[in-house]
Amino acid sequence: MSQFTQQVILGLLLGGVYVAVALGFSLVWGILNIVNLAHGALVIVGSYITWDLFTRWHIDPFLSLPIDALVLFVIGYALQRGVINRVIRAPLLFTFLLTFGINLIIVSLLLLIFTADFRSVTPSYSGNGLHLGSVTIPYIRFGGLVVAFLLAGALWAILNRTRIGAAILAVGADRDAAQLVGIDLRHMYALTFGIGAAFAGVAGGIISTFQSITPTAGDPYTLQAFAVVILGGLGRVSATVLGGLTFGLIEILGQSAPGLGSGYANAIAFVVLVIVLVVRPRGLLGRLA
Amino acid sequence: MSLLAVRDLSKRFGGVKALAGVTFTVEPGQVLGIIGPNGAGKTTLLNCISGLTRPDAGDIRWDDRSISGMPAYRIARLGIGRTFQIVRPFPSMTVRENTAMGGLFGRPDGRLQPAAALKAADEVIDLVGLGEKRHHAVLRLTVPDRKRLEVARALAMHPRLLLLDEVMAGLNQVEVEQALTMVRRVQEGGVTIVLIEHVMSVIVGVCTHALVLNFGRTLIEGPPAEVLNDPRVIEAYLGERYARRQQPPPAPPSKGDGNAQA
Repeated sequence: MSQFTQQVILGLLLGGVYVAVALGFSLVWGILNIVNLAHGALVIVGSYITWDLFTRWHIDPFLSLPIDALVLFVIGYALQRGVINRVIRAPLLFTFLLTFGINLIIVSLLLLIFTADFRSVTPSYSGNGLHLGSVTIPYIRFGGLVVAFLLAGALWAILNRTRIGAAILAVGADRDAAQLVGIDLRHMYALTFGIGAAFAGVAGGIISTFQSITPTAGDPYTLQAFAVVILGGLGRVSATVLGGLTFGLIEILGQSAPGLGSGYANAIAFVVLVIVLVVRPRGLLGRLA
Repeated sequence: MSLLAVRDLSKRFGGVKALAGVTFTVEPGQVLGIIGPNGAGKTTLLNCISGLTRPDAGDIRWDDRSISGMPAYRIARLGIGRTFQIVRPFPSMTVRENTAMGGLFGRPDGRLQPAAALKAADEVIDLVGLGEKRHHAVLRLTVPDRKRLEVARALAMHPRLLLLDEVMAGLNQVEVEQALTMVRRVQEGGVTIVLIEHVMSVIVGVCTHALVLNFGRTLIEGPPAEVLNDPRVIEAYLGERYARRQQPPPAPPSKGDGNAQA
C-alpha cells in the first residue's frame, strides 16, 4: 500500500513538471495556433540560466526562476515579433518548419556556449525529503509542484482578470474582430509568445534542479507538452493542469506495474494518449471548437 | 471637409478585380447606403476602409489624413467602428463583456479601465435593445440579437463613423423595423453611418445617400429614391427581384424567417 502511495506521490510530482512545461505551450497553441516545436529548447535555455547563476554566484535555483521568466519573456517576444509573425497566417506546415528550425538554432547555440557536457544544479538540500512513515517526498520535487501550481494560477489570473488577458483571449477567438475593437494584434501575439516562453523558462529552472541538462535535453519536453495538451484539452488552464498531472501519474504507475519497467513509461503514456484521441478527441476538459 | 474620402481605390485578388477605382466621400451626419450585386466589392471596400485588407492603389482619407494601409487597430481607435456580415462575437464572453471590449481597447483617447468600459457597455447595450440580455452568454443569442451585439461592440468605441455590413440580412420584417429604429437612434446620437444592404426598404427608409457598386466600380451615386429608380440600376443590378418587391407583398411575413441562420 505504501508502495502505491509513494508511486502516486511521485506521479503527481512528475505531473507537476509536465504542467509547468505544458502551460506556455498550450497558451501559444491555443491563442496563436502555433505548435511550437522550439518549446523544449526554450525550457532548456531556462535550465542553463538557472545553472549559470547557481554555479557562478550560488544563487538558489528557486530564486533564479523570476530571472528565467524575464529573460525568456524578452527572447519570446522578440522571436514572435521578428520571426514567427511572418508566417502567422501561413499553413501549419510553415510554422512547424520555422519553429523546428528555431529549435535547431537554439540547441546549436547552447552547444557552442555551454558545450555538450552534463550540467547539474545541486543545492545543499538536493537529496533531502520529507519522510512520512514509509513515504518520502523529495523537497525539490515538491517545490517544483508548488511552482507549477503558482504558474497555473498566474496564467489563469492573467487571462481572466487583466486587460491584457482579455485582449489575448479576444485575439485567440477572432483575430479580425479583435483588431476592429482596437487591439494591436502583433503586440498581443508577441506578448502571448513571450508569456509562453517565460513559463517555459521557469519550467526549465525547475527541471535543472532534479535532472542533468544538456543542450538537447529539451526535445522530450516538447513531446510531453504536446501529449499533455492533447490529453487535457486546449483552451483552458485547468485542462492543462489535469492533463499534466494525469500524464505524470500514468507514466509512473505504468512503469511500476508488475512485469513492466521504466522502459515502458513512454509507451504506456502514449497508448493512453491514443485512446483519449479516439474516445474523446477534445481532451479531458477541452472546449469544443 | 469630408469625414471620409475614398479616391480611386483598387484591390485585386489574383485575377479578380474586387475594386477597380472606387471614389466617393462621406460627409458628417450622412447615412450612406452601398448596394450592388454579390461580388460587387462591397465587403472588400469596407475591409479596406477598416484596415483588414490593404488596398493595391488609391487613397482613403479620414479627416483629411491618409489612413490607407494603416493597421486595423489604429484605424479603429481613430473612430471608425465596423460590424461583420457574419457576426463574430467573442464566444467565451457575455453580452456585456463582449461590448466592453470595444471601450476597453478601441477608444481614441487612450484606454478605459475595465470598470469604466463595463459602464460604457451598459449604455450602448440599452441603446441597441439588449438591456435585458446583458448577462447572457453570446452563444445563446438569436441572430438578430447577435447583430445588435455587433453594433453595440462597435458603438462602445464611441466611433464617429460606423460601417455596417448587412446588419439586416437574415432578419424578418419586424426585426428589420427594429433594426432601422436602432440605426436612426445611432445617427441621432451623432454617428455618421455607411451601410451595406440588400434590403431596399432599408436604403429608402434610413439612408440620406446611396451608392451603387458594380464590378468594383461606382455605377451611380445620389439620393436613395433617385438612385433606386435609375433605369440602369433597376435593369442591370436589381433586375426582376426588385421589380417584384415594388408590388404589395402577398402575405404577412412569417416570424421564423429571421432565425433561419441560427
